[in-house]
Amino acid sequence: PEMWNVLVARLLHASMAQWNDYHHEDEDVDGEERDESGVDYTSTGRDSLVFLVDASKEMFIKGEDEEPSPFDMTMQCVRSVYTSKIISSDKDLVALVFYGTEQSKNPRNSFKHVYIYHDLDLPGARRVQDVDGLRGEKGAQVAGETMGSGNTNLGEALWCCSNLYSDIKLRLSHKRLMIFTCRDTPHGGDGERDRQARTKASDLKETGVVIDLMHLMKPGGFDVSLFFCDVVSPPEDEAELGLQMEPCGKLEDLQKRVRAKEMKKRSVARLNLCLGEGMNVAVGVYITALQARKPNAIKLYRDNNEPVRTKTRLYHTQTGSLLLPSDTKRVQVYAGRQIVMEKDEVDVIKKFSDPGLELIGFKPMERLKLHHHLRSAVFIYPEEEMVTGSACVFTALLRRCSERNVFALCKYTRIRNSPPRFLALVPQKEEVDDGQAQIVAPGFHGIFLPYADDIRTLDTPQLPTASESQVDKMKEIVHKLRFKYRSDAFENPVLQQHYRNLEALALDLMAPEHIEDLTMPNVNMMDQRLGSLAQEFRDLVYPADYNPEGKTAPKRKPAEAAGGTEKKPKVEMSEDELRGHVQKGNLGKLTVPVLKDACKQFGVKVTGTKKQELIDALTAQLTK
Amino acid sequence: DNSTLVLCLDVGFSMSNSATGQEPPFQQAKKVIQKFVQRQVFAENKDELGLVLFGSDNTKNNLAKDDQYQNISVHRHLMIPNFELLEEIQNDVQPGSQQADWLDALVVCMDLLQNETLGKKYERLNIVMLTDLNTPSSPDQLDIIIGNLKRAGITLQFFLPFPVDGGGSNPPHGGKALSREQQQGLEMTKKVMMSLDEEDVTGVCNPDLSVFKRVEKRPMAWPCTLTIGSSLSIKIVGYKAVCEERPRKSWSVVDAQTHQKDDIKRDVVYCLNDDEETEVQKDDTIQGYRYGSDIVPFSKVDQDQMKYKTDGKSFAVLGFTKQSMINRHQFVGTQVLKVFAPKDDEHAGVALSGLIRALDDLKMVAVVRYVYARNGNPQVGAAFPCIKEKYECLVYVQLPFMEDLRQYSFPSLENNKKYTPSEDQLSAVDSLIDSMMLVEEDGEKKDLFKTVPGSYHIPNPQYQRLFQCLHHRAVNPSVPLPPMDPWLTTALQRPLAVATRCQAPLETLKKKFPLKEVVKKKELKTSKELFGNSLGTGISTSLAVWERVGLHSSLGTGSSASLAVWERVGLHSSLGTGRSTF
Repeated sequence: PEMWNVLVARLLHASMAQWNDYHHEDEDVDGEERDESGVDYTSTGRDSLVFLVDASKEMFIKGEDEEPSPFDMTMQCVRSVYTSKIISSDKDLVALVFYGTEQSKNPRNSFKHVYIYHDLDLPGARRVQDVDGLRGEKGAQVAGETMGSGNTNLGEALWCCSNLYSDIKLRLSHKRLMIFTCRDTPHGGDGERDRQARTKASDLKETGVVIDLMHLMKPGGFDVSLFFCDVVSPPEDEAELGLQMEPCGKLEDLQKRVRAKEMKKRSVARLNLCLGEGMNVAVGVYITALQARKPNAIKLYRDNNEPVRTKTRLYHTQTGSLLLPSDTKRVQVYAGRQIVMEKDEVDVIKKFSDPGLELIGFKPMERLKLHHHLRSAVFIYPEEEMVTGSACVFTALLRRCSERNVFALCKYTRIRNSPPRFLALVPQKEEVDDGQAQIVAPGFHGIFLPYADDIRTLDTPQLPTASESQVDKMKEIVHKLRFKYRSDAFENPVLQQHYRNLEALALDLMAPEHIEDLTMPNVNMMDQRLGSLAQEFRDLVYPADYNPEGKTAPKRKPAEAAGGTEKKPKVEMSEDELRGHVQKGNLGKLTVPVLKDACKQFGVKVTGTKKQELIDALTAQLTK
Repeated sequence: DNSTLVLCLDVGFSMSNSATGQEPPFQQAKKVIQKFVQRQVFAENKDELGLVLFGSDNTKNNLAKDDQYQNISVHRHLMIPNFELLEEIQNDVQPGSQQADWLDALVVCMDLLQNETLGKKYERLNIVMLTDLNTPSSPDQLDIIIGNLKRAGITLQFFLPFPVDGGGSNPPHGGKALSREQQQGLEMTKKVMMSLDEEDVTGVCNPDLSVFKRVEKRPMAWPCTLTIGSSLSIKIVGYKAVCEERPRKSWSVVDAQTHQKDDIKRDVVYCLNDDEETEVQKDDTIQGYRYGSDIVPFSKVDQDQMKYKTDGKSFAVLGFTKQSMINRHQFVGTQVLKVFAPKDDEHAGVALSGLIRALDDLKMVAVVRYVYARNGNPQVGAAFPCIKEKYECLVYVQLPFMEDLRQYSFPSLENNKKYTPSEDQLSAVDSLIDSMMLVEEDGEKKDLFKTVPGSYHIPNPQYQRLFQCLHHRAVNPSVPLPPMDPWLTTALQRPLAVATRCQAPLETLKKKFPLKEVVKKKELKTSKELFGNSLGTGISTSLAVWERVGLHSSLGTGSSASLAVWERVGLHSSLGTGRSTF
């Protein structure tokens, strides 16, 4: 049987590679693979996340100043993780489990006071709605009615969670469990239960589950050392001060903390940063900002709304036989000549060097210009597990680059057949907030530098500049409309609307939930803040009869066109003239209407209307 | 918007002379021309181009009379460049055994331009001279020629096989001293260029010899109105300033035997997820989306009705913020826009200038809602002030939406004792940085490595290589593809000076920082060991397997049984591509 498996795998692999090659051709036509989004989830397994939430009475106590209760905050957090998973990582599995409940609900009901609200599965519309139902005043009531608050046995709860993981048939690559609680001694000093919970926690950790504590504010402060320090996973490195973090008192902090942990870092590539011959430092390449797009539509069978599969096949038009990729070649046509290459040749042309980052040298930061931007930057962090010693070289390099205000210029080859790009590696030192949570991660940002072809020359208009008083007036306006920009402040209204629509359809809602379009200027507020300033500025820069809103100045039409709208008279071309053009290969200089007229004039039949088709037809006719 | 250009190539005998080990100027110049024509052909540029050779054994030009304008040959009249021209250059353009006055050749070129552009409108008329200036030239008519060039609006570019920065009398570094003719010729070229207000005298020994000054297409204007609140508007025009340039053509699939596109048909069939793989008609399918675990039918019509809509073009200021609040590593999107006032609108110019200068003084940016057109998606971006000697503008870059961000945290490096470098190690890094600075500051700043325009800049190597191969294959259909152009390989490497300088610091660095590759057992099994060497033989596999593969790869979240197989296969194929897990 093992032999058989190997054989099947081999067959599948071999033909799969071809199929993929073939399949991707459509997208790959422009010769550029979709560079940076290339995280291969299918090959690495699923990520999973279990929310283990304390449902004791303490969790339902509201904070001062009508702050939401810890339970309410947690539910809002769970909801936002659910929806963000649906949008940005729709293959991840999530579960929601309560402990310290009165009621029990788990597969064999073998665990008391543990309530599995959501099994480990993909989050969907219904689940989002469920969690919504647990929010706010009403949610607390619902929770009370369905689950109630009772005894706490964290050990049993953790055991129950470990069953969730083991019941999953899929390969899980990353397993995380987050405990949300505001009680630092869940068992109230019951040493036996504490011990049990610690044992279960270490069992879980042994199977690769990472346990985090999302501790919430409680009167008197949350003392991690009393119990939880032995339950949670050790920090990723000895210096991480994870547990000294203050408990979260605000939803925003909690969300930030959950978000930072909930997403598994995935590198798009792990490669060597080559400083010189024989000096290779291992690094991972990460994406920290990449445009989220609406996913592709899928096709469903009308009768049952089940997805259908699509099969693409290549046929020979004449014989009707199926073609393999090897039965085809690739062509491009330039200046009337067809240039043929093998598929392999097309691929190998793109190869320059093996994947990696190659240090070219260093430049002062001021050499990096604002307009050096082509696509989202990458983030570079050492991979000590690949090459020991990498982190130390990296740290030294990062520190000195940062202190000397220089960037490293590197040649970047992501995968085997990807052509090189140059990156400016800009150092970024770590920054932490008051609660010792990381705001800015240590590492280099790789800024993609344009090639000469990528910069366009513009004809810049010669226009008068503003006077000091005009500039000063504008400064007042700028002052009035100041705000603190935050990169996570704007939601994408197109995506949000799309998902609201899907949500509404999935839940049979009458209408989708309203989205607030944060990209729209708040015109009323702006006008109010500006008061008379806008008018004053206008008076300073615009003459009274000038209308800045009007259509851009109509193009001054040439005088002869003023008379009427008559078309240019047709210019008949003599045959000699035309033959001259054909001989010189100058037909391309004529406009499409002229070419069409010429076709008519010389009785040339054309099937298409494309310029090249007209030219080809004329050439064929006149060189007969 | 037509421009036309005459290449004027010196094929005289001195062009074949070179110092040992160096390529003769003729070969260098021929390459420049080939690269340029190649570029024009592949850009399917409709600009006409002529080729004039001087120092040729034959004489063929309108002005030749008696002993005047001898050994100057109009090799090609103004025509759109094509592969025939490339073939001619490759096979027929050879060094001659004569000499001709480069000023005479220039006059022939001017005459050619004048005659053959008569009655047509041209945006630009160019002449490009490639010569070593090694022929005696009579300067007596220089002023008349300059006058004629100016009057005809002809621009001139010189490519010379020696550096010109050293001045006429100083011997160029590394090369032979210039001959008297060359010194005199250089003085004359400089005079011509000065009076034409041109800066372009380029030494062919530059590494960027093949990157001709490109005659570009005019960028698309995007007229719009910048708004601040409801009562302040400024008319603007945006242009793409930076954007990844891609070739306009793509590969199409043809039958391997006939090379005909029409012999191949692509066929898409839809089938149910059952054991029989029942085929269904396209008309029996509807559109849907995944929403997490849900599959939601959502017709195109409904979608269009319910989707987010904008009310057209927009460049609306949402507010102003400090430049320091905008992280450049969070720029998203694939372009940089430059925003000006309309060319003929000085009031808009003043108003926009007011905004640009105010932002520049305050070190702030405008955060803007940008919508390209009615059916475009809205963006939020930053408009930075940009004040240059010759112009002012806003530079617009797209910023991320919340959904685009991945806020990863990474373990601390500085606070980790294991990774803390010693003073000794830090100073080793310092010497490496010192030795590898690409910007030298001896009196004048000099950049040794530039990817963007400047004295040394790198064109996208992907396209240089692609066009090199296409050119080769077009002209020699049955010959294997050539190796990469050496200049291109060199251009992508550490500059020689830096590579030499950093040797010693690098050695020290190696000693100070021990590095050890971690070999994990899992990695030892390469795809070769797993599958043997027979990977390629899969090509002959039957249709049955072909289709089954289709099944597995199209499975997104289908039944879990086959999913398991999919994942295993996925694992193996990731080993195969060398992207193995560590």
